[in-house]
Formats: sequence, structure tokens, C-alpha cells
Amino acid sequence: MSDMTEIQEPKEVGNEMRGEIRRISSHSRARRLAVSRMMIALCAIALLVSAVPLVMLLYQLFKQGLPVIDKAFFTTLPSTPSLIAPNATGGVSNAIVGTLALTIYASVMAIPVGILVGIYLAETESKLASSLRVIAQTMAGAPSILMGLFAFSFVVRDLNVGFSAIAGSFALAVLMLPVIVISTEIAVRNVPNTLREAGLALGAKPHVISLRVVLPASASGIVTGTILAVSRAVGETAPVMLVIAGGFTNSWKPFDPVSALPLSIYENAKSEWPSLRAQVWGIALVLVVFIFVLSLSARIWASRKQQVKN
Amino acid sequence: MSEILNESIVALELGDEAAGGYNPPAASRTWYHYLLLAGAILFAAVSVGFVGTIFWSSLPTWLHHAGTLLGGKGWASPLGPFGGLAMITGTFETSLIALVLAVIVGLGTSIAIVFLIPRRFRNVIATLVELLAAVPSIVYGLWGLLVLAPWMETTVNPWLNSWPFAKAIFGNPGQEFGTSLLLASIVLGIMILPTFVAISREVIAVVPQDLIEASLSLGATRWQVIRGVVLPTAKIGLFGATFLALARATGETVAVALVAGGVANVQFHLLYPGTSIAAWIATVFGESQGNEIAALMALGVLLMLLNFGLSLVSRWLVRRQRRVLALV
Repeated sequence: MSDMTEIQEPKEVGNEMRGEIRRISSHSRARRLAVSRMMIALCAIALLVSAVPLVMLLYQLFKQGLPVIDKAFFTTLPSTPSLIAPNATGGVSNAIVGTLALTIYASVMAIPVGILVGIYLAETESKLASSLRVIAQTMAGAPSILMGLFAFSFVVRDLNVGFSAIAGSFALAVLMLPVIVISTEIAVRNVPNTLREAGLALGAKPHVISLRVVLPASASGIVTGTILAVSRAVGETAPVMLVIAGGFTNSWKPFDPVSALPLSIYENAKSEWPSLRAQVWGIALVLVVFIFVLSLSARIWASRKQQVKN
Repeated sequence: MSEILNESIVALELGDEAAGGYNPPAASRTWYHYLLLAGAILFAAVSVGFVGTIFWSSLPTWLHHAGTLLGGKGWASPLGPFGGLAMITGTFETSLIALVLAVIVGLGTSIAIVFLIPRRFRNVIATLVELLAAVPSIVYGLWGLLVLAPWMETTVNPWLNSWPFAKAIFGNPGQEFGTSLLLASIVLGIMILPTFVAISREVIAVVPQDLIEASLSLGATRWQVIRGVVLPTAKIGLFGATFLALARATGETVAVALVAGGVANVQFHLLYPGTSIAAWIATVFGESQGNEIAALMALGVLLMLLNFGLSLVSRWLVRRQRRVLALV
């Protein structure tokens, strides 16, 4: 393909070529074009079909979610509807506090370790590093329910902590850790080697280069990856549902049982009360908006830094 | 390669090819080096603990009831026997059907995004796909349970049952709530679609332009280029995307727990309720004790093996694809 060949006159090979093309493609051009247009149209239809669920989902979220959100929704504790007061659902303040507490504790546990491991993977070459890389990639795709099983056996049972916020945030931290490791590694690796070499040439020690040169240069990538990890953890139900026991108070204490937004969605969606099933759309809307804001800000942050670099 | 890394989902799913790095000579190893090493060892310990603890907790089941778990049909809380066959078959049924749906629609979508959408809109589409992937699975489950399930019950199930042929395949559960293995497969298919599209779109987009133009210049139509050049070149990577989507589908928990019906029956008629491994753990874990927890942990071990196997295969395939493209 790369060789420069002499340009041949079309008339010399014209008829033979035509026969050759006939032989390879036994159908007429009109038929091939018709088939092509049909298949391309099918692909376009597939694109539309894949957009349908998103549109339907968002439509339902806003249509049914917005009406149930008011001030009490954010500030009051949930109450169980009864026959006398079938619409007394209360708010979901316990779940909001619980989700924030779980996310903050999990971030405190996962972010420092994740960044350290990411830098380690990017900056060293060893058997440990390459096996940790495979482990991180495999763990990043592990089913989230397994983090719940891990947190239950290790924190709730073996350490005898009981059903608590700390057990839930441990599960979320295990979930976030590989994501932070992988994105930190990529960000640190993307720092050009010339920067490191400039530091070495000036006689800087490895940790000085790493902390003063490489980390600032890769900060945007690390922040983006971390926000994505947090936004993934916020919406997870499976890992926390096994270990946090769904508390009914606004508690920030690590060793108390807490609730979480995804968990209240799960519980309320299965409820017999129509009022609770209506409220669940509001919870879902709050959760989805929160996650969209987080992941869009991560994306915008990343693209802005990209522009600065260019 | 840089285009691949721009996509955060893709980067996270596949990681980067390892490229170099340096080891400081022993003399210059400072506290910083040991700090990094400590972090790495902690991470290794967490990973080993993750696999080890779950396996250790499931040990009683593997020692005494392995056959029941793998081949038994009933799940009798709280004392047993705990048979896992219904969950295993349910996992395979739902995720394979979901995969077929997602691959058919997703492949068409990726082709349309790469070859039909103007270049300047691609970033918008990529953002939309990422947002779809960011919607938590509980929200898909909620939507499936409160919107799709009633629709299945009132419209789809009677319609399928009005055809004798379809009735024989899907079964006629009569009065149910609309939650079924079929609904779980559909919701799962919708959920894994963004993952599949994100990766297959990248794989298709990096097929060298030279090949496409060469084929066009020979008089091939657009579809002939796609079928004859693009798809064969991207084949290995597309298989990788498929396996990764399958791994996602097998591990999906709460959405399936909400829409599959949560019944532990070995069931091949898709309109009947069923469950999957992950969904069953989520459904019954809260009320289980002793041996039942061990049995659920053993189901977790099965899920882990399945998921890790699938994701290792898919990563290997995508890495091979990158090497193939590097040669072109």
C-alpha cells in the first residue's frame, strides 16, 4: 500500500478490470446500492431504538419525580403510611444524610490509597506492579454485590462492627479503589517524560519530581477519575444494602446504621403503598441529577484542562 | 490510542497498555518510594482479602453441599437444602438474551455513530452514552418495575400468548405482575447497551481510514465497506466488547432483583418469574443466617469466577485488537 506504483492508463486494463469487478461482486451496482441503503437505514433505526429507553426513562423521572419534591422531602424523616393517613410518606432526609456520610467516609478511605497505588503503577516497573494492574482492571468490573458480601464477612462479622455506615462505606471504598487506581495511573503516565528528565537533570530526588512536577501536571486527570469513582459509588445499591441496615434517623455517626438514597428507592419501589411508590420517583430524580452533575463536571473539567494543554 | 483514552468509560474498562516506568536504584530509594510501596501492598491485601474472605465464608457449603448448590433445584430458607440451579440458569438466560438484544442494537448504533453522525456531534453523543452508563442500576430497575412491568402485563404478555407458537416458547403464566425473566432480559439489555456502544464505537472508529478509502475507491458501496473491511478489521475488539457487556450483565444485581420476579424456579419459559445469582443474593441475604449465608457466599464465588473469567477474556481480546491495528 505504501509503495509508489506507476499510474497506469485506465484504457489498458479497462475491460479486464470490469470483468474482474463483475467476478468479485456478482450483483449489479443498483442492487448493491439498494442493499447498502437498506442496511445503513437499519443502523440509523438502531441508533433511534437505543435512544428510546433514555428518553422514556428521563421523561418518567421528571414527570413523576418533580411533583413529589418539596421542602419537606429534603428535611423530614420518613414515616410509614397508614390506613388513616395513606399519603403520610414524610421526607427522605435520613437517606440524603446517609448517602452523603457513606460517600464521604468511602472517599476518605479510598482516594489517598488509590492515588498512591496509581502513582506506584505508573512510576515503577515490577512484577508486583504488573499483577496489581491486572487485579485493578478485574476488580473495576467486579459485580458490586460482591463488595457487599466482602464488607459483610470482613467488617460486620469478622471485625464485629455490626451493620453500620462504616461497613457500607468500606464496601463503597473497595468499589471506588480500582477506578481511582486506573485513572490515576493513566493520568500520571500521560505526563511527558521530558518533564521528569528535566527534574532529574536538575538533580531533584524522585519524590520531589513526583510531588512537585508529575502530580501537578496530572492533577486534572486524577480529579476527573476520582469524581467518576465517587459518582459511581453514590448510585450503588447492592454493596450497601447488605451491610447498612437502613437506619431511620439522620445520623452522621460511622457506627450507626444509616440509610441511603438507592436503598430507599429499592425499599419504596416494592412497597404496597401507592404514595411511597410515587415518592420513589422523586428520590430517583434527586439521585440521577446529583450523579449527572458529578459526571458532567468531571467531563467538563477534563476537557477544559485538555484545552489549556493544547 | 489517545482517542481511546479520551473516553473515560473505555479507559476505565480496558485500562492502558503498560508502557515503561522506571525503578529508582536502591541507593536513591527514599521514604516516598516506601510510601508508594505500602499503598500498593495495602491494595494487594484488600484484593486478596476480597477474594479470600468471600471464599472462606463459603467454605462450609463447598465442603458439605457442593452438589446441591450446583445442581439442586429448591431453595428452602432457613434450613436448606440450598440448590443454586435456578439462579445459575436464570443468570445465563437473562444475560445471554440481554446480550443478543444489546449487540444487535448496539452494533447498528455504533456504525451509525461512526459513519452517519457528523464529526462535530460525536462528542455530544459520547457524552450522552456516558450519561446513560452513569444512570444507577436501581433507577433502571425502578423504571422496569413501575413502568415496563405493568405494560408487559397488560400488553406484551397477552400479545405473545395470542400466538400459539410464541405461547409454546414463552409460556403462559396467567395472572402475574408482569415481572418475568423476559422483562429482566430486556432491562438488562438496555443497561449494558451503553457499555457495549462505548467500546464498540471506539473499536470501529480506529479502523484505519486508508483501508476504508481503498475499498471505496474500488467501487464498494458503504455497506460493502462496512461488512467487508470495517467489521472484519474490528472483529476481535468487537468480541472483546461483547464479553465485557456479558460480564456486566451477569453481575447486575438490583435491577434484576426488582424486575425478574424473585422466584427460585428453574424456568425456561421466559414469561415466568425467575431470578439470577446476584439478584438472589440481594433478595434473601437480609433474612438469612448460618448455612444460608454460606450458601449465598458460595453463589457469590460462582459469580466472581464467571465475571473474572469473562473480563479477563475480553481484555485479552481488546489488547489483541490493538496489536493487530498497530501492525496495519
